[in-house]
This record gives sequence, structure tokens and C-alpha cells, in this order.
Amino acid sequence: MSGSQRDLQLKLKSHAAGILLMGAIFIVVVIAIEQRRDEAEDADPRIQAYIDARDIDFANPVDRMLFRETLDLFYPGQTKKNDTLLRSIDDFRQRGFRGPASRTANLPRGLTWTVTGKLMGMYVQFLVVYGVVLCILYFASQRIAIYRFVKMKQGRESYLAESVASLRKFFENVSTQTLKKELPTLASSFGRAILKGAILLICFSPAYVIAYSLKTTLDTSSLVFMIILGVVSNGVLMHTSNRFFTLLLTESRKGYVQTAIVKGLFSSYAWDTSNGIPKRSMWRTRGLLSSHVFQHILSNARFQFIPTLKEHASFLITGLVIIEMALNIQGHLCYELLQQILFRQSDVAGAIVFGIFLVVKGTEIGVDVWYDRERRKYGY
Amino acid sequence: MATDGSVSPTVSGKYYRHKDIVWLTAWIAGMLLLWIWDALFLNKPALVRLQTALVNSAFTGIMVVVLSLLLGWVAGVVLHLLGRSQWKKTFALATLSVNALRSIPQIIVVLIGYAVLTALLHEEIIRSMFVQLLWIAGVIALAVVLEVVDTVNERIEYFRTLDFVDAMLCCGISESRIINVEILWKNSRSHLLHKMIAIFGISIFLQSSIDFIISVGLSTDVSLSNLPLTLGSLLATLDSKQDILAISNILSNPGYLPRLFITHLQGLSVAFCIVFTLLCMFNIANGFQRRLRLT
Repeated sequence: MSGSQRDLQLKLKSHAAGILLMGAIFIVVVIAIEQRRDEAEDADPRIQAYIDARDIDFANPVDRMLFRETLDLFYPGQTKKNDTLLRSIDDFRQRGFRGPASRTANLPRGLTWTVTGKLMGMYVQFLVVYGVVLCILYFASQRIAIYRFVKMKQGRESYLAESVASLRKFFENVSTQTLKKELPTLASSFGRAILKGAILLICFSPAYVIAYSLKTTLDTSSLVFMIILGVVSNGVLMHTSNRFFTLLLTESRKGYVQTAIVKGLFSSYAWDTSNGIPKRSMWRTRGLLSSHVFQHILSNARFQFIPTLKEHASFLITGLVIIEMALNIQGHLCYELLQQILFRQSDVAGAIVFGIFLVVKGTEIGVDVWYDRERRKYGY
Repeated sequence: MATDGSVSPTVSGKYYRHKDIVWLTAWIAGMLLLWIWDALFLNKPALVRLQTALVNSAFTGIMVVVLSLLLGWVAGVVLHLLGRSQWKKTFALATLSVNALRSIPQIIVVLIGYAVLTALLHEEIIRSMFVQLLWIAGVIALAVVLEVVDTVNERIEYFRTLDFVDAMLCCGISESRIINVEILWKNSRSHLLHKMIAIFGISIFLQSSIDFIISVGLSTDVSLSNLPLTLGSLLATLDSKQDILAISNILSNPGYLPRLFITHLQGLSVAFCIVFTLLCMFNIANGFQRRLRLT
């Protein structure tokens, strides 16, 4: 067995142990909660007889007073004990009005088969949304990072710097001719700078800010909107693309890049020139960069990007949980989680949390297997 | 054109070299401008609420940074020492627990912490606002502490691969001093500072999100009025929500834009505080990392 296979086996064993550990914790919590719930719902045997008594209406003050006096008559000199008994009866009755059972009304209580079936449907929907968002994120973050990297290598100014330069040129030589020449450049670069700023603000906006600002014009509870929001909001896209950009930058500083350039590989980053970068490679890199040094930088960065998907996946799930909870979308897994916490149905809430934990673990296992396959392919 | 990965000496190039300082200045200037604008156009009670929310959120964020640094430092060092000790089973169990915690999304950890907080408030065990803020900070710190643990472990492991540690051990310096002082304090401060900036941003994000979520109704007994006012809870108020809803008006009626900055100021200011802080913290951390080449 090779070293990488042993590594993978170790990782898989660790994941399995983690799932078992969390599963055990979940089962213990469910059993403990079930026991507590049974105890809470069953009246204390000492007060059960009084609660069941047909002739006493504890909501009626006269009945209560009579009951209290009767207690003093039967158990004289035990005022404190009698008071405690009456308080216990009151507490039990109050729990009936204010407890979780009263809030859930006709909803099935506990982790029954009906509830589990309902949750499974929501879980599958959550998995679909998560899978789609993760795929889009993987693709989009790389494209953004590649664009940023190529632009940086081209030595181009930022849009804001371009507009400042154009403004400076105009003030150096104030004339109608300069104005005519510089105005389109100034308008274009300044407009782009504003647009870039707005896009950045949107990308770093928490999902609920974007959703609420569009709530009156769009259907914010649709799955498509959720997917778009999952990709665009909460800074997920920017964090992921920045990670890939950093990997590209680190790779481009390594010695093999200089060696490859000396060996004659193309190293120009100009768009669509014979030795440069085809613009099409923004969407599809395979076969388009074969004689370019960037192909090697990209392959190595992509290889190192795979394991980082684990942390991005966890953060992405945080974003999706926020979207479902904050937008108050009924029939979604995380909204259900919030409701179950509200109704103090800890076993159902625990099951949902365990389900989400399994999604993260599943992603981690998938990423580890993928990384191992790539590692063997590159002979690491 | 630069080929070694460094940026070319353009205006943008100069900006990239001091990106963290530029963004820190932009953040301070942006918040100051917002305060001046609000002082001019926002009504007094709303301005006071906004200031309180900002102070509470910033305080919680700073506490998260401090707590996660302390907790992460200790946990990271203990994990490392356990890994090199005879107690292999304890180390395996600790690693397993840490990995299990890593697989629970941060927001779920914070949500559970808030559920416990609402229960404690309901039972009147916690009353003081300061303790509530500390509890919130503690819960968020617990959710993000693994980031610090990872950084601490990475740094120690990196120095372990060099002759650095062995040479110091030969000089008779104790292992705990080498790890805590020589590696972490003297040689990893910038790495930890970078992590702290990122954690401050994450804590503002998690805190705002959870406070907003609670507005959907985590407890009917403990409402937002029982919890300290933060940016998230201020954004969750009806006034602020209406202000945010008004943004979509400009899609159908662009002429409404100027009115937005006068009549819907509370919600917009809170949203701006959150979004602008997140954007700036990201860029500060990013610029800091690039300036000091902390990869």
C-alpha cells in the first residue's frame, strides 16, 4: 500500500470516528431529552391524585381556597408543605399553557416517523441547493481569480487610478480638445470604479440585507434566488476567489516558473496575442494554454485549491443556514431547525444539526478522496 | 510587466503594497463620514441607538478576538504537546473532538449558544448586559477558535522542521519557552495578528446574522428587547427593515435615490456599518497578509 493510500485510509478512519462520535452524542442527547420530556409531561405522583379529582377546579379561586383550607385541616402544622403542594399544582397547570406542547399545538411532537419523513424531504432539497452552490462557487471563484491575476500581470491600473490619471491629464492642459479626449475615458473608468465598488459591497453584504432590499420586487423564497444569494452574498465568493488568487500568486513566485520561461514557454499575459492568454481561457482553460507558463501555475494552484474546499464548504453552509433562517422561508431545513429550537423540541433540532454535520463530513470525505486521486495523478 | 509575482510600479502597484493601511484609513474615514451624516440628518434617539449598537458590536468583536486568541493559543499548544507526549489515546480523542467541532458550521454553534443564553435569561440567571455580551463573545469565540488553533499548530510545525527548535533545546531552553516565546510570540505575531483581523470580521458577521435570525423568533419568552442592542438586532427592528425594503424602490423609481439617504437613514446606516466593516476587514487582512507575505 502506497503512502498516499495509507494517508487516505487514515483520514477516512478519522472521518468515520468523528461521525460515530457525533452519532453517539446525538443518541445520548435524544434519549436524555425523551426521558426529561416524559418526566415533565407526567405529573408528580403526589399531585396527580389532586389534578385528577373531578370536584376541584383549580382555575376557580373559591375552589383553590377551599382546597388550601382542607389541606391545613388534614395536615395541620405543615403550612410550608401545603403551600409547596399548591405551588406544584399551579406549576404543572401553567406548563400546560406555556410549555412547548402548547406552542406546537397540533404538530406531531418528538422525532416520529412522520417528522423524519418530512425532514428527509427538506434535507434532500438542502443538499441539492448546497451542491449547486458549491459547484458554481468552485467554477466562479477560479474565473474571478484568474481574471484578477492576469490583470495584475498585465500591469494595468485600477479603474479608480485610471480615472484619477485621466482627470490629472485634463487639469494639466485645460482645453475643449483635452476635455473631448479625456471625458470618455474618465466617464468609462469612473463608471467602472463605481460599479466595481457596488459589486464588492453586494458581495460582502449578508444575505438578509440583499434579500430584504429586493423583497418587494422579487420572489425571495424561490430556490433560484436562494442559489444566487448563496453564491453572491456573505462574502463567500470573494473569500474563495481570494484564496485561489493567493495560490496563483504564490505559485507564480516559485523557481520553476523562471525555469519554464528560460526554456521558452510563453510568458506574456496580454489578451489574445500569439504568445499571450486567449480571452476564451477565462471560461475553458483545457488545451488553450498548453505552451504558456500560466498553464503550470494554474494546474499547481488548482491542485492546492482542492483541500481548501473543506473550509469553504463549512462557511458556505453557514451562509445557507443564515439565508434559510433569516428569510423566514417555511418548508426549508434550517427554518425548521429554528422552529424546533423555538418549540424546545431538542431531539428534532439535534437530528437536523446532525444532518448538517453529515453534509460537512460528506464534503470532507469527497474532497479527501478527490485530492488523493489528483495527488496520485501528479505523482506526489 | 512583472513576472515574479510582484506588482508593477504603477499607482495601483503602490496601492497594493500598502493595501491594508489604505483600507484601514478608508474604514475609519467611512465610519466618521457616516457619523457626521447621521449627526446631521438622523433623529437623536435613532442616533443614540446606532451608537450603542456599534459600541456593543465592536466590544463583542474585540472580546471575541481576545478570547479566541487566549483559547486558541492554549488549545493549540496543548494539542501540540499532547501529540509529542506518551498520551497517544488522549491526543487521538482530542484531535477527534476538534475535528468533529470543525465539521459543525459556525452559525450552528453560535445558535446553540444563543438558545442557552435565552434559557438563562428566561430563568433570570443572567441579568447584566455586560455578562450577556461576554456570553455572546464567548460563544462566537468558541465557534471561531479552531482558526487560531490551526495557525498556532501550523507555526509550531513549521519551526519544528527547521534546526531552530533543536538548537534552542541544545542551549538548555525549555520546550514551553521555545514554543510560547520564541516561536509564537517572537516569530508568529504577524500571523496571529492577521488571523485576529479576520476573526474580528467573522465575529461581526456571525453576531449580526444571529441577532437578525433571532428576530424571526428564537424564543417567545425572551425577545430582542432582553438582549443587548447590537448592529444585527438594530437591523432587525421594524424601522430598519422598512428602510432596507425601501432600497428596492430605486429599481422602479431611480429618482428616489437621494431621498433614501435622508428618510431611510437608520436601516441604511446599520446595513452600511455591517457591510463596510466586512469589506474593509477582508481587505485589511488581505493586504496585511500580502504586504508581509504571510502565505
